[in-house]
Amino acid sequence: MEATTYNYKVVRQFAIMTVVWGIVGMLVGLILASQLIWPDLTFGIEWLSYGRLRPLHTNAVIFAFGGSAMFAVSYYIVQRTCQVRLWAEKLAEFTFWGWTAVIVLAAVTLPLGITTSKEYAELEWPIDLLITVVWVSYALVFFGTIIKRKTKHIYVSNWFFGAYILVIALLHLVNSAELPWILGGSTSAWYKSYSAYAGVQDAMVQWWYGHNAVGFFLTTAFLGMMYYFIPKQAGRPIYSYRLSVVHFWSLNFIYMWAGPHHLQYTALPDWAQSLGMVFSLMLLAPSWGGMMNGIMTLSGAWHKLRTDPILKFMVTALSFYGMSTFEGPMMSIKTVNALSHYTEWTIGHVHSGALGWVAMITIGSMYYLIPRLFGRESMYSTKLIEWHFWFSTIGVVLYIASMWIAGVAQGLMWRAANPDGTLTYSFAQVVATMHPFYGIRLAGGALFFGGMLMMAYNVWQTVRAGRVVNDAPIPQAVHA
Amino acid sequence: MDSGTLSGIITVAFIVVFIGIVWWAFSTRNKQRFEEDARLPFEDDDDLPAKQGDKQ
Repeated sequence: MEATTYNYKVVRQFAIMTVVWGIVGMLVGLILASQLIWPDLTFGIEWLSYGRLRPLHTNAVIFAFGGSAMFAVSYYIVQRTCQVRLWAEKLAEFTFWGWTAVIVLAAVTLPLGITTSKEYAELEWPIDLLITVVWVSYALVFFGTIIKRKTKHIYVSNWFFGAYILVIALLHLVNSAELPWILGGSTSAWYKSYSAYAGVQDAMVQWWYGHNAVGFFLTTAFLGMMYYFIPKQAGRPIYSYRLSVVHFWSLNFIYMWAGPHHLQYTALPDWAQSLGMVFSLMLLAPSWGGMMNGIMTLSGAWHKLRTDPILKFMVTALSFYGMSTFEGPMMSIKTVNALSHYTEWTIGHVHSGALGWVAMITIGSMYYLIPRLFGRESMYSTKLIEWHFWFSTIGVVLYIASMWIAGVAQGLMWRAANPDGTLTYSFAQVVATMHPFYGIRLAGGALFFGGMLMMAYNVWQTVRAGRVVNDAPIPQAVHA
Repeated sequence: MDSGTLSGIITVAFIVVFIGIVWWAFSTRNKQRFEEDARLPFEDDDDLPAKQGDKQ
């Protein structure tokens, strides 16, 4: 018998875990920010040292918070825009438990110091294998659902999700190619592995991976989210569907080659560095095209921004997307990079994208989604969403402004030289200059985290008063 | 053929494909269908499950 309802169970599981992992990941971020101010904060306990918590923070916010959000919205949107129930639901259920297992394993191994030491790909080979199995299952469920769709057209969000799923699979397989030490005859640390690449090739593969993780995980995937939830929340179709088609293909054509900008002035050949810079500059066009497309969707309905905090989250997210996709190409210019690289400016840029764009579009989408998954008209408190919005926005602004000033100061101090060629400032002097800015950054992060706690309370109250919805019907009149 | 020539050919081919996509997306012939496609998220007139669930 053909299913008459959508599968909301797996969407609900991932949506709730998005909030949970968001709080966990950002809490670790707060601890790290505090450690930079008070280095002895964790009493020298090795499991809580900065070097071990830092990858835990990045993995938790990117793959646990962002990843769970992507599973939730892609499963929701692919069903609704294809007007069919998920294909292979058991497999979809497995992706939830499998992905959650990956996150728990990360939370155990990283503090223990078990790491490949590749940024954003720190997890060791047994976990890499589990990720592969979960990801292939995800691809099967997603594309299986696309194949059995009842609509003629595949909505643009699904194109973005499809690209994200395929590219992440490719990146993970290539960058995680590694030789487990156990094959080398060792039994003392069976989980240890070594990368299949060496030297500058390893660096290039790593940053091809690292940059495309930003490009396809944190950008493409969340743009898919934007192309569905902004029209829905604004109550009108996307400003230009044709622009969204060009947006999709131009991002795909350009993003792949921008990775070398992470390796300016290194042993990477000069031509590769320049290539990375040129492709990064070109990225400005599709990024801003996409941003305009999202924002212009509100043209004629700007008044909704005054009263609807969910829409505020989404449009502010797009504004931060525009800012960070302007800042990124600028920082990839070699002369700018000579100043900005290895400074706090980079940290500010990353968080302008991660908190301003990824987290805020996710939060807005979750506020749209969660009541619908629990049979409620709206969230428990709209006023609390409004508070959350202001906490987040002020938090991000404090964070990126302080890190930008700190980064520029740091870069200028490092390069300052006396007439006789010696350095003007010692390293310790530069660290001391950072101190007040670290304080402002912590305040900004704490505000953002405070907003997440409001969200958790709001979600808890919504879920408590609601009921689990397993019966959202699939529309019977199928549009060709 | 050396790898430089091959890269050149691939680059040109990609540019041609991309221009083709832009032409296809913005040709007046396809205006109507893309406007319909943009309405896909609005196919179901009420998507608040609270109301829909009550019917069953």
